[in-house]
Amino acid sequence: MAELHIIGQIIGASGFPQSSLFCKWGVHTGGAWRLLSGLREGQTQVDFPQTGEMAYWSQPVDLHYTTKGLQGWPKLHVQVWHQDSFGRCELYGYGYCHIPSSPGHHRLQCVTWRPLGSWQEQLAQMFVGGGPQLRSPDLIYSGADRYRLHTVAMGVVEVELGIILRHFDRYGIES
Amino acid sequence: MASTSDIRDKLRQKRRAFQESLVRVRDDTQALVSMAMDVNRDSAMEDLAGEEEPAETLRRSLKAQRQRRKKKLLEEMAVEESQTGADEEEMEDGEEEEDVETSAVEEVSEVQSIQQSRGRSETEPETESEAAARSFTRSSRDLPPLPMSRPSSSISESSMRQRMREKLRAARSKAESLLQQEVPVEPASRLQSLRDRDTLTRFDRETEPELRHVPDGDSSEILGKVKFREAVRRVRIDAQREAGIPTGEEAYNFFTFNFDPEPEEEPSKRRKKRRPKSEQAEGGQEEEGEGEGEEEPEEQEREVEREPAREDDEEEEEERDEEAALVRDGEEDLFLIEQSSQDFLEVRKAEYIGYNRRVQRESELLFTPSVRTVPASNKLPDNMQPRYLEEEGLYVGERPVVSLTNENILENRILRQDQATKWFGDDGRIIVLPDPIKESSTRPPLFHVEGDLDPSLQTVYRKAIKSKYAKRYMPGVGDTQGDYQLDVDVAGLIFSHHGLFSREHVLGARLAQLYDQHLSRQHKNLTRLLTDKLSGLRNTIRNMLELHGGQGLSEITQQRIAEYKQEVKITRQMRDAEQEKDRALLKNIVKVWKEIKALREFQRFTNTPFKLYLRREEVDRASDEREHEAEILAEVSELQAESWEDYEKKVTEYKQQNEEWKTWKKKQKAMKKKKKKKQQSQDEEEDEVEEESEEELGEEPTKPDPPEEPDLDAVERQVREKAARIRRKPGEPILVPELTASSNITPNEQCPRAEFGRRQDVLKRSLFVKVLYNDKEVSRTDSRALTADFRVHFGQIFNLKIINWPESIKLQVYETVGSSTTQLAEVFVPVPEPSILTGSATSEQLEFSSNQRVTFNHEGVGSDVPFSFEADGSNRLTLLTSGKLSCCVSWAIGEDDIPLAPPMTHASAGINSGIMQMDAIACIGASGLNDMKKLGKWAAESRLDPNDPNNASIMQLLSVVSGGEVTVPDYFRLEQLQEEFNFLSDEELDRSRRFRLLRLRTQEVAEFRGYKFVPTLEREVSEKVFQDYEKRLRDGEIVDTKEHLDAHRALVAKYLQKVRESVVNRFLIAKHHFLLSDVVLEEEVPTIGGPGAGVLGLNLFKLAEPKRPLKPRRKERKKVTAQNLSDGDIKLLLNIIRAYDIPIRKPQASKPSVASKSTRSVTETFTTGHSSQTAMQGTDWPFNQVLVRPFVEVTFQRTVLQTSTAEGPNPCWNEEILLSFSAPNGDYSTTSLQSVKDEVFINIFDEVVYEISEAERERERGGLYAHVERHWLGCVKIPFSTIYRQSRIDGTFKVEMPPVLLGYTKENHLVSDGGYDIVRNLTEGAFITLFITIEPQLVPGETIREKFDTEEDERVLLASEFFEKDAMQRFPDRPCLTTVIDINGKTVFITRYIRPLNPPQELLDASPNNPQETMELVARYVSLIPSLPDSVSFAGVCDLWSTCNQFLTLLAGDEEEHAVLLCNYFLSMGKKAWLIIGTAIPEGLTAYVLTYEQSRYLIWNPSNGQYYGQYDTFCPLQTIGCLINADNIWFNIQMYDAPMRISFDVTKSKFWKPFFSRAFSYPGLSSVQPEELVYRRTDKAAATELQDRIEKILREKIMEWRPRHPTRWNRYCSSTLRHFLPKLELSGGRDVAEEHRLELQSLLGEYRISGFPLHLPFSEIQPIIEAVYSTGVHKVEMSNVEFALAVYVHPYPNNVLSVRVYLASLIRTR
Repeated sequence: MAELHIIGQIIGASGFPQSSLFCKWGVHTGGAWRLLSGLREGQTQVDFPQTGEMAYWSQPVDLHYTTKGLQGWPKLHVQVWHQDSFGRCELYGYGYCHIPSSPGHHRLQCVTWRPLGSWQEQLAQMFVGGGPQLRSPDLIYSGADRYRLHTVAMGVVEVELGIILRHFDRYGIES
Repeated sequence: MASTSDIRDKLRQKRRAFQESLVRVRDDTQALVSMAMDVNRDSAMEDLAGEEEPAETLRRSLKAQRQRRKKKLLEEMAVEESQTGADEEEMEDGEEEEDVETSAVEEVSEVQSIQQSRGRSETEPETESEAAARSFTRSSRDLPPLPMSRPSSSISESSMRQRMREKLRAARSKAESLLQQEVPVEPASRLQSLRDRDTLTRFDRETEPELRHVPDGDSSEILGKVKFREAVRRVRIDAQREAGIPTGEEAYNFFTFNFDPEPEEEPSKRRKKRRPKSEQAEGGQEEEGEGEGEEEPEEQEREVEREPAREDDEEEEEERDEEAALVRDGEEDLFLIEQSSQDFLEVRKAEYIGYNRRVQRESELLFTPSVRTVPASNKLPDNMQPRYLEEEGLYVGERPVVSLTNENILENRILRQDQATKWFGDDGRIIVLPDPIKESSTRPPLFHVEGDLDPSLQTVYRKAIKSKYAKRYMPGVGDTQGDYQLDVDVAGLIFSHHGLFSREHVLGARLAQLYDQHLSRQHKNLTRLLTDKLSGLRNTIRNMLELHGGQGLSEITQQRIAEYKQEVKITRQMRDAEQEKDRALLKNIVKVWKEIKALREFQRFTNTPFKLYLRREEVDRASDEREHEAEILAEVSELQAESWEDYEKKVTEYKQQNEEWKTWKKKQKAMKKKKKKKQQSQDEEEDEVEEESEEELGEEPTKPDPPEEPDLDAVERQVREKAARIRRKPGEPILVPELTASSNITPNEQCPRAEFGRRQDVLKRSLFVKVLYNDKEVSRTDSRALTADFRVHFGQIFNLKIINWPESIKLQVYETVGSSTTQLAEVFVPVPEPSILTGSATSEQLEFSSNQRVTFNHEGVGSDVPFSFEADGSNRLTLLTSGKLSCCVSWAIGEDDIPLAPPMTHASAGINSGIMQMDAIACIGASGLNDMKKLGKWAAESRLDPNDPNNASIMQLLSVVSGGEVTVPDYFRLEQLQEEFNFLSDEELDRSRRFRLLRLRTQEVAEFRGYKFVPTLEREVSEKVFQDYEKRLRDGEIVDTKEHLDAHRALVAKYLQKVRESVVNRFLIAKHHFLLSDVVLEEEVPTIGGPGAGVLGLNLFKLAEPKRPLKPRRKERKKVTAQNLSDGDIKLLLNIIRAYDIPIRKPQASKPSVASKSTRSVTETFTTGHSSQTAMQGTDWPFNQVLVRPFVEVTFQRTVLQTSTAEGPNPCWNEEILLSFSAPNGDYSTTSLQSVKDEVFINIFDEVVYEISEAERERERGGLYAHVERHWLGCVKIPFSTIYRQSRIDGTFKVEMPPVLLGYTKENHLVSDGGYDIVRNLTEGAFITLFITIEPQLVPGETIREKFDTEEDERVLLASEFFEKDAMQRFPDRPCLTTVIDINGKTVFITRYIRPLNPPQELLDASPNNPQETMELVARYVSLIPSLPDSVSFAGVCDLWSTCNQFLTLLAGDEEEHAVLLCNYFLSMGKKAWLIIGTAIPEGLTAYVLTYEQSRYLIWNPSNGQYYGQYDTFCPLQTIGCLINADNIWFNIQMYDAPMRISFDVTKSKFWKPFFSRAFSYPGLSSVQPEELVYRRTDKAAATELQDRIEKILREKIMEWRPRHPTRWNRYCSSTLRHFLPKLELSGGRDVAEEHRLELQSLLGEYRISGFPLHLPFSEIQPIIEAVYSTGVHKVEMSNVEFALAVYVHPYPNNVLSVRVYLASLIRTR
């Protein structure tokens, strides 16, 4: 009956080539976890920062889980998208991070990456936008032989989470 | 600076000349100095006037000096040059002084003349203004540097001068004008000064002191000084502006050489010398001596000169000009200069140290390590040999590459340091780490082919996508699912007729067509097929017969043989038909070919390449004949057999019929006998039997005729005839036509002129095809020329990437002649099924034709023009241009063989979750997951990719389901150790109440929606929380009949509940769909004026409005979103203002004498009798004069508040009542507020005070003397949901009053004649004026904007959307409704609901002669169906419209269902009726019915059966938005919307905007209503039973409500009342009151009676109880009170029940 409460926000992103960004996010858990309340995925608004290059979303995350096991600790995965001046959206980065397992306030920085694609694709991307995307976005948080993927480092998504653990000590888990 | 050297020369020359002239014109200058002084003084004067800028003045003065100097020079030059110039100059000299303004011009011209005289005409004559406008720099640049052989300075000088002159002139002209204004005497004095200079100087000197005597002369002087200093600066600046001329050195030399023989120190000395002087001057010395002046100029001059020399040295020439003048005319002013920054500065030349010297100096300070190699001995400690570790075999690693020079430098430097040796290794080299750079890159290059990458790692390039919202876009587009692509292949077209066809072409086309037909028939070869089948069948029959030897045929075999025979018959007929067709076709082909041949012969040329060969296939005559004969024989025998069989059958039939007829005859005879018997006996049973028998016999059977025997010979004859007609004659060769295009076409040259023209015309034509997708041109083919055989080949494929749903694909064929293009035809191509893919799709031949009329004057037959093949012009033909377009439309296949076709389903996009785009659950709903069939269907429809790992689970599930058995999966489990490490099992987790509560709340299960504060501790969650929920789950199927009294109603309630649930679930999803406006609250930008509320403009206007404190206005309140509210925050504000026409008390007769009155006739007037009586009963009736004392009691949510008591039938309370509101579960969300079912009851009571009778007074000594009683008069019910939706309700409402109020009467009861008159409505009933609102104002919930499934035409939907939007824009407060949602959640066009439907027959039969009464009855019937607002049942969802039969089955509905039903009834009764969509009080948006009757309009309120005239003031309908009937919708576009002020003539397009107009005609929408309504007869017994039950329940309830008093029932009275109620029902509650009263009066003379009948539609028992309770009859607390209660349930068809409850309280008066 251990409970994990995740309350916080996805603050924003910085370090991307363009600043008008939005983010699709989700929380992935293993089979032992049950969502008690809250939305486990969502999409933020598009932020066009007037000053500075950091895009702020302040997207609230309010999730309440209960679990019967530790396997599959929740992971937050994000996809950062960019909306260009024509209103088109293109992928800017994938990233994920584990929900902290210690209680308290955490400020996480989730780095992101983007598939590079062939040179033709890169060229096309430069002129007409778009870009390679993963066929299966599950790869963001699942470990496959990822070294074969050519990627480019993109910016950082900042996440601020407050973690409350409950009754984990009953099952011998110190927190 | 090419001119510098020239200028330098010139300067030198000038200098020399000047020196000479200095001596020569000594006296002249003297005079000039005085002049300058004059000018200076002038300027001073001007300054005093404060009108001239100081700098300007000074500059002017300087310039004046220069001017004079220059003139001198010019004079000199004049000697050298032409005489004329000099003359002019001299002339001017004089003139200039007189008129400065003109001088400038003259000077310019003078300069020009000089230039011209020299033959230099480049300088263009300049006008005065031009010259003035020019800047100095410009003009100097303009001058081309002239190399001059002659030593002359004239050019540059003249230009300089010119500039200076211009400057001067500008300044002077200004000054002049000023001077002329101020000192008009001045010019005169100047003139004087020219004439005699001596006097002038004196005059000047005299004027000066005068000036100084001006009160602030001192300051003016100081000002003057300042001015000068400034002027110096100006001069410098001015000088700077001029193009730089000599270098600094030269200037320096120049000055030192000429004027400054003394060394440098001299000026400084002088300066020192001068300072005291200047101090002196400053000290206030007024008089400045002339002698000093003599000394000073020298200094002054140098001073002025030095400055430019130091700093800019540019204008030395000018300076030099000045210099001479300054020496002399500086006099007083100039030496006043005190300190200026120049005084402290001196010029030094730049210091320079030679390179060598510097290097030397630097070398002393700096260390430069040498680049030479350091000998090893230096680097090693003494006496050490270098040791090479590498040589010793030790690994040393590779040294990084460093250039030798760098190494040497480093070593040298290190050696100079302390402990230098520690940096060196044993080998005498600097110690280094091995080279860290790896040879190869760590990350090896990946040489992989895209294919062998792990599928999950593969990336796909996606274009930047635009998000789409509109519903017309396909789902999934723009998402990762990719685009859809349609391939349109336009292959080509063939004309079957074209205007340019010649006659031969026409025939050729026909031939080709026939041949095609022939080929296709041959290909199918139906004849052969059928012949084979026939013989096969025959063989089978023969075999069967043979097998059994003709005997012992079993039943089954016989049956089968019969079947076969039947088959043979059919097949034979079919074969014959086919054969006939074949033959006819062949004949036709031959005929046409012959025509062609004839035509070719006739016209003597060939146009078409067609050639027909008829191949003969010879046959063996004998065998053919044999076959033929055999065939005929077989057929004949079959036919004979058939006809014989037929005959036999007929014979047996005949026999049977004959038999029947005979028996009938017998029966009839018997019957006749019986009838005779029956006439004698009266027995009813007999009667029935007789009826039966009569029915049985029915009509008389005709006597059958015996059948004829078949004519066998005739059969054979027929067969032979037929064979001859349709079959080849035996032995005739088989003809096989072959059409070839081998015929030669006659070349052009040999053709007649007309044909030649035609061919030429053909060549001019070209065609192209436009491809239109959804009526938008997307592409077009190339233009191709029309060939002589009228075929055009395009062969182009267009790939259309689409994002819109394909609605239509159209191909337009265009023909181009020259430059003009005409559209020939339009071909619609069907949108392909998603399964039709490129590659597999077959090309289609789409026929097209055009009705264009084309005529030609050549051989072309034209189109739509009659022509004939015959010479005489008979047998005319008219052909239209037509042809076949072969094309193919299919869905493209993507790179990876994925069809780019959209999924079939129009499934509305659910919530697009952030990451998963195709979610099964989102698509079919969670409930669908349990339904395997549904899931399977979905999987098939959405073309799930079975290879997609995303779908693996679903695919497996499906395979398991379809396989029927669960196989052991051969998968491997990723989290296999999970079980071992689990903390606890699922069951334990499920047991947690807290978690369950949390989850249920999240799932928004009805009971827990909006539940707040889930406790943190498990034990704090009580089990009770789930009780309701579990009970509901458990009780799901059990129908509780007790609650509903009626099994049918219970079922209906259950059904309603289910519908509600499903609808609510459907909308729960939609509720989470947000629009921008839901999330972002944006204040409206204030606008000035404009349409709508010009916020700012209006407010500005308001500011100007006079304040009128006595006329307060309602302010717009701020709306509160229902989020942060809690209990007690919301208040209901009721303002009860006044009431009209409250019934008044009727004096009650309590004397026995009254009883006798009952015996009187009804005609006797009551009032007269009573008036006398009331006077008599003074004691009993203490408040006799008071007619009525009404007060209002408001009940809401168990809160009861009442107003004070007013008096009279038209009371005025004007009281405010505040009721607090609490939402269910404390949930103040919009949804919950909308579903609040509470009603506000506003009851009007009469307060009656009775004095307690004497006897009782005796008993209660010292107690009460009066007894207050309240009598219910009527009530108004307003549901909270209405108030919530409307936010305020303001108006006069009709009070619901019982038709009979015992003891009360209307004050002025004008008895109506039942006609449709206005007076009646005015007087009937009481009215109350109310104002109700919620404080604070809440934002009403919005209806769901979900797009629903629909079966409507897209076009209609679009039009309706547009119509509604347009209406909304023009009249935002008029409701407009075009589409509604039916009970299945589908969008339905509203007119489909209107259809004439039959009302129950018995209603029509009730009063067949009075149509008006029938209408009223029908309206009452409709109003008896209980009303159940949708917004309550479907919380915050939307209005659902059920059809009339659904409505009658459910027996519950909203206003619109009532209105639709009523409207349909009226229509079927032949009335003109419309549905009104409008707003009314208190319902808000509602539906009424409008009828047109006797040239006037009536408005019917369907919920209570009332009707109002158009001009009725108390009509609750306030706004009329639109009218609807079965085939159109009209929107009100009149200025007003109140029914009273509008015209109902819908034909006037000025007033009513129709939906279907000429532009968009009515497409003939079928109705959703049933053909007719079937009514069930209501069980009378059940009604009686119900009646008893209700009565019993009410009795119990009343007793229950009076716990402290005994409740006595007056049986006698009750029974009287019970008898009365049916009468009331029949009369519809009218006209019986008086009679009834009389009746009662007679019975209950000794009682004071107050009571009334209530009338309610029946739905459930609870509302009846509520209604009874609200009347408060039970509250009478007199001890001697008795009650009477009667209930009557009147059944109407279809279980519509009208419940009447009569309640009375009786008090014995004696």
